[in-house]
Amino acid sequence: MSVFQVLKGVRGERVFRIATMGILAFLTLFFIIIVVAMVAYTDWATLISTLISEEILFAIKLSLITATVASIITIAIAIPVAYAISQAEFPGKNIVDTILDLPIVISPIALGAALLVFSNTPIGRGIENNIIRFVFEVPGIILAQFTVISALAVRLLKSTFDSIDPRYEQVGRTLGCSKLKVFFRVTLPLARDGLIASSILTWAKAMGEFGATVTLAGATTFKTETLPIAIFLSLASADVEKAVAVIFILIVIAAASLIALRKISGRSYQI
Amino acid sequence: MIEIKNLSLHLGNFFLRDINLTIDDREYFVILGPTGAGKTVLIECLAGLHRLRKGEIWRDGNNATALAPEEREIGYVPQDYALFPFLNVLGNITFGLREKKYPKTEIKEKAKSLAHLLGISHLLNRDVRALSGGEKQRIALARALATSPRILLLDEPLSSLDVSTSKYLRLELRRFHEELEITTIHVTHNLMEAEEMADRIGILNKGKLEQVGTSEEVFFYPKNETVSDFIGTPNILNCNHCNPLGHGLMEAHCGGVPIILPYEGDVVKRIALFPKDIYVSASKPPGPELNRFKGVVTEIKPYSSLIRFKVKVGENTLLTELPKDRFEDMGIKLGQEVFLILKLRRLRVY
Repeated sequence: MSVFQVLKGVRGERVFRIATMGILAFLTLFFIIIVVAMVAYTDWATLISTLISEEILFAIKLSLITATVASIITIAIAIPVAYAISQAEFPGKNIVDTILDLPIVISPIALGAALLVFSNTPIGRGIENNIIRFVFEVPGIILAQFTVISALAVRLLKSTFDSIDPRYEQVGRTLGCSKLKVFFRVTLPLARDGLIASSILTWAKAMGEFGATVTLAGATTFKTETLPIAIFLSLASADVEKAVAVIFILIVIAAASLIALRKISGRSYQI
Repeated sequence: MIEIKNLSLHLGNFFLRDINLTIDDREYFVILGPTGAGKTVLIECLAGLHRLRKGEIWRDGNNATALAPEEREIGYVPQDYALFPFLNVLGNITFGLREKKYPKTEIKEKAKSLAHLLGISHLLNRDVRALSGGEKQRIALARALATSPRILLLDEPLSSLDVSTSKYLRLELRRFHEELEITTIHVTHNLMEAEEMADRIGILNKGKLEQVGTSEEVFFYPKNETVSDFIGTPNILNCNHCNPLGHGLMEAHCGGVPIILPYEGDVVKRIALFPKDIYVSASKPPGPELNRFKGVVTEIKPYSSLIRFKVKVGENTLLTELPKDRFEDMGIKLGQEVFLILKLRRLRVY
């Protein structure tokens, strides 16, 4: 007799429910235990002194600035891109869509390495020497974060625009709006929740970005040391207390972002 | 005047084929057709929402084919109303006025007078998401009318409303039309709605405009089988003479059959009656003898899940129908005598 035949009827329902709930409890506990173990390990006096150390304050400030700038640039670019992919029909749309999705599945270190290689090409060198320096510099952090989070922002905003009934725009047009005006007066207000949710998620992801950043901008204390890089540097020098302090900051930022997200749009925009 | 010349369009599953149509100023024109006929696509073309590859749209002698929707001076009420959820009722109504930069005092006055006309003054500060279907319809109408358009396009404006609200709003729509004297194009799949509201009806089927005419022309002189099938092949009774009975009642003699019906006019010339609106009984039904007739079954034909059969009453042969199982239960045979009751409310009189 197969398992499907044994677990029939009400008994089968109960077993199925217990099995799924059990696995859910296991995963939740797994994360709780990690955090609790970290809390138990922490020496709070050291943690607070680490938090207010000059190096960590610099990392917090740098992370906040770079993640905010990268998110603003990303959202500004992702809005028209997502709208075009959602609304326009053009040849090769599927290919373009796939290319824009690539950064979601490619490892961030690979993306950072690709950017580093690009900076060594004639075009890359031209940009580095004449316009703006990215390699081992702060703009490199922003570029690395942008590269990693832009695909996510496009994906989230595309689903927002997909869910907007084109009728609203059509009515807006008949009420006197041009195509551009109707985008600002009708489409963006309709996309408000999705827009805020995407901004929060991309910002939170930028705050935690490590792989591409460390590859392109390096890990120089007081120069390109963001919070995730601070964890990396602390662990590399066996300073676990410092690493734990920074981990706490990142957990607080992540939790605050998710709470804000839930308040705005329920569960619909969670990854 | 609106002129549609040789308009053809293919859009996904929908297409329009060589549409030619003229709609007069201040006319209430209804585009009638089954689901998927292309009715919505046709009014979307009038609204400028599709780029036309073949055909032209002219307005008052000017070619309006290439005009953008915002340049067409139209008011558009889509089927689901599409009220902006990020604005309250007042914000929705005044949206177009604000976009067209009307002075603030004028915006206020216009909103007030429209709200009064449509009976929605008490709703102005409400959230549009919390309104009933009928209220939403009025607000969508107020929003469309606010910018004083020259043409009003209504896409199935009553289809999502309950029967009584829909019936009431039919009268209201006609009232607004008469008060505002605005050319109105109304799309529907509902025959009764079309008949009740239209100055003229255009029957659209599979993207082709099959017939244009008054409801009388469409009912009594269907141009082809498609139209007559869609209308439902009514029985047409020609009436020889009639006697007013007072109290709004008329007795019409149609081919030896006396029919009493509510009618305020002078003369009943013809009566149209759909097969489904004739009640059939194999035995004499109880009750008063009003509009009940004895006849003989002359022809029986299966028609999908129904049986359609002809009954000779006086000089008329009436087509009637019953569900197959009901027909078999009654054991109706050729040459058998049956009793017919005409449903008074469903008679169409001209």
